[in-house]
Amino acid sequence: MEANPIFESFLAAQGLALFEYLGKGSFRPIGAFPSWLKQIWGDEAVRSKTVVLAERSPFLQNFLLDAEQFWNTKSSGAANSGNWIERGVDGVETPLEASALRLDGKKVLLVRNSSAAFAEQTQWLQTARDSVLDHEKLLREIQKKEILLHCIIHDLSQPLSAMRGCFNCLTIGDLPPDLKPFVETGQRESYRQEQMIRGVLEAFSGDLPAQKKSQANEPPATADLADRALHAVRNLSAAFSAKRVRLQLDPKLDVSRQWICVGDAPRIDRIFGNLLENAMRYSPQNTTVTVGVEEKGALLAAFVDDEGPGLPPDQPTGKLFALFAKGKDRPGKAGLGLYFCKMTVERWGGRIGAETRPSGGSRFWFCLPRAPSGSQTKTVESNPVAPMGKKEHEASALQTAPSPAKQRVGKAARSLRILVADDTEINRELAMELLKARGHSTVGVADGRQALAALENAHFDVVLMDEVMPEMNGLEATRAIRQKESSSGQHQVIIGLSGNATKEDEKRCIEAGEDAYLSKPFDMHKLFQVIESSAPETAGEIIAPPPATSSDSVAAHLARSAAGSKKLMQSLAISFLADAPKRIANIQSAIAQKNAELLATTAHALKGSVAIFGAAKAVAAARNLEAMGRAGNLEGASGEFRTLEDELSGVKRELLAIGAKPGKKSRPPRRATRRKRRK
Amino acid sequence: MIQKKICMLGSFSVGKTSLVRRFVTSEFNEKYHTSIGVKVDKKIFRVQDQDVTLVLWDIYGEDAFQKLQMSYLRGMSGYFMVADGTRRQTVDVALALQRKVAEAMGTVPFVFLLNKCDLADQWEMDPDDEKNISARGFVPLRTSAKTGENVEEAFIRLAVAMLPK
Repeated sequence: MEANPIFESFLAAQGLALFEYLGKGSFRPIGAFPSWLKQIWGDEAVRSKTVVLAERSPFLQNFLLDAEQFWNTKSSGAANSGNWIERGVDGVETPLEASALRLDGKKVLLVRNSSAAFAEQTQWLQTARDSVLDHEKLLREIQKKEILLHCIIHDLSQPLSAMRGCFNCLTIGDLPPDLKPFVETGQRESYRQEQMIRGVLEAFSGDLPAQKKSQANEPPATADLADRALHAVRNLSAAFSAKRVRLQLDPKLDVSRQWICVGDAPRIDRIFGNLLENAMRYSPQNTTVTVGVEEKGALLAAFVDDEGPGLPPDQPTGKLFALFAKGKDRPGKAGLGLYFCKMTVERWGGRIGAETRPSGGSRFWFCLPRAPSGSQTKTVESNPVAPMGKKEHEASALQTAPSPAKQRVGKAARSLRILVADDTEINRELAMELLKARGHSTVGVADGRQALAALENAHFDVVLMDEVMPEMNGLEATRAIRQKESSSGQHQVIIGLSGNATKEDEKRCIEAGEDAYLSKPFDMHKLFQVIESSAPETAGEIIAPPPATSSDSVAAHLARSAAGSKKLMQSLAISFLADAPKRIANIQSAIAQKNAELLATTAHALKGSVAIFGAAKAVAAARNLEAMGRAGNLEGASGEFRTLEDELSGVKRELLAIGAKPGKKSRPPRRATRRKRRK
Repeated sequence: MIQKKICMLGSFSVGKTSLVRRFVTSEFNEKYHTSIGVKVDKKIFRVQDQDVTLVLWDIYGEDAFQKLQMSYLRGMSGYFMVADGTRRQTVDVALALQRKVAEAMGTVPFVFLLNKCDLADQWEMDPDDEKNISARGFVPLRTSAKTGENVEEAFIRLAVAMLPK
């Protein structure tokens, strides 16, 4: 390649070094060496007429293999090396880039100092990567907080589970009337606390966007705002009294009309609760706090007025509702209460605020949109001990405690074998007690590994599996059970239990293979309902109604068996009166024929039909006859038969006495009647 | 003298440059400087009673912005696959990269490093994670370019694996 002064000047001006490949690793510089290359390779390289570039740089040594491949293929364009960094003899690092080209048929290597482009590229790449790292860090922080939050919720839920279990157990027996109101208050307040915990979890967990989305598709929940105000006053008046502050409902509030707004009752209760606790903190003794509801255009406004010092003049109102904001002298708790109120109200399309009242003291208020016309109030979650509403409150003035019968534990239709796996002893035992009271048999274990061992050794209709347990948690145990079932084709019903209550938790349990999910603390009725509806249809043993005691009448037993349905009572009595003589005759015939097998079958059939009416002695006699038949030993059968006959006569008398008529049994099917006529 | 090319591979910001710097100059810089391109360093290292010149190719970290050019690995005698033990996802990147390298270059000795072990409170790897890596046939070594923990040990381990038996 011939020297060209203009071209060489161009190369120098551009900071480029050009080499012509001579073969065998040797290169000839074209034009003068740029100063930056002199600094890297030193004067010795500059003085040479040819340079073996591979010896100058390991990177170039590697790239020259690519370059040679490019030159040999005679392709157009260039082969580029990408950036590399060379450290000069003075220790300064310089970014370089090389390209293999063909110029005028010659093999040429262009080396350029890429400092300017490199600096720019480094800057944007550094920014981009810093952003990625910051994002990762933020995600980790959020994850840590969510884990912490779930741990707190889990820890709060455990003692609450125990409390609710205890209250449920107390309601199973007959409570002295003077204790009933206390147990009911305990139930109601533990339910309220549970709702609060769930509310906190929902409000602060990462599930919020998903919840919002799901809520968007549902009709909004509505509540009577005055009803909730009344409920709040009733709930907190004792606490206010203790601080010598009077809490009252605004005397001007017309509680007879409806004040239906958008929002669900448990959350509105929490908003009232937070605002009232705030008012209580700032109210001097012997002052009054007033809760009211009024119309505000298209919205309904609730307010809490106190006679305290008013709002601090130097603090913007908006800041009161900010996250972790605390009032003057910081008498509050974590600074989350008012923030929760703001978040909740705004989610429902409402507003919240506070102001100093002209007459002194402060007013905290929130406005919620009126419910769409035609909508009715509904609670988000039904519960037998849900907070009382206005009408219930009025009723409670006459009757302080709701009927304890509502809390009685009825027997299940079938007795199931249930394995309860929970590491918290008190919760495990309470669940077992409740299930036993329901008529189920239970076995308790403290972790997933023990649950697997128990399932190896015995059959269970249902497993109640806590999620968080040591050694092996509930999800791991469930996966292990499902894994084993993949070859056996069987299916163990597993119901997940978790102290956490998010949709995500539920999803995790179901994904692990659990059939259903219950969040703790659970309501006992919900527990029974989920277990009994999840168990296989053929699981367990049918529970016969309890045998009669001497004080129990046939009529009372019949009423219980028929769940109070007069129609069903009548039908059962008629069937029995029609069928009993035939069954008795069959038993008598079996004894006469000394047919043990027939005796067992006929006595068994009679035992089932007579148990509906209590008749303990008749049931016992039938059972004894059945046992004799099964054993093949009919000695004493005639004596038992006489007892049975006597007892059944008594049952028949009582049934006739309550109006059952044997002749009223349903008509035989028409076809059968016709056949009879033909005969 | 025997000369061996070693490549530093892994996700970005896992500490490849810091490990080289710690090994070559016994220095450490707390601030993260992203690497662009390739930087080659050399160090004479005595292992098994012989001096070996290690030519260390510190190659930019792989991510969405920069992909590894396999031509840089040509002629390498061994490599370090580096992950950051405080960022679980860098282990996944390292495992994927290792498969890619093995496919392109065949069996080449390497050592799997879990760097930044000085940040114990931020460590995201649990024993099961390390067992999973070990199950693939390579035992991860916990290192810290900041404290120098196991850095020399890592180079010894790789050098021994690279040198003829």
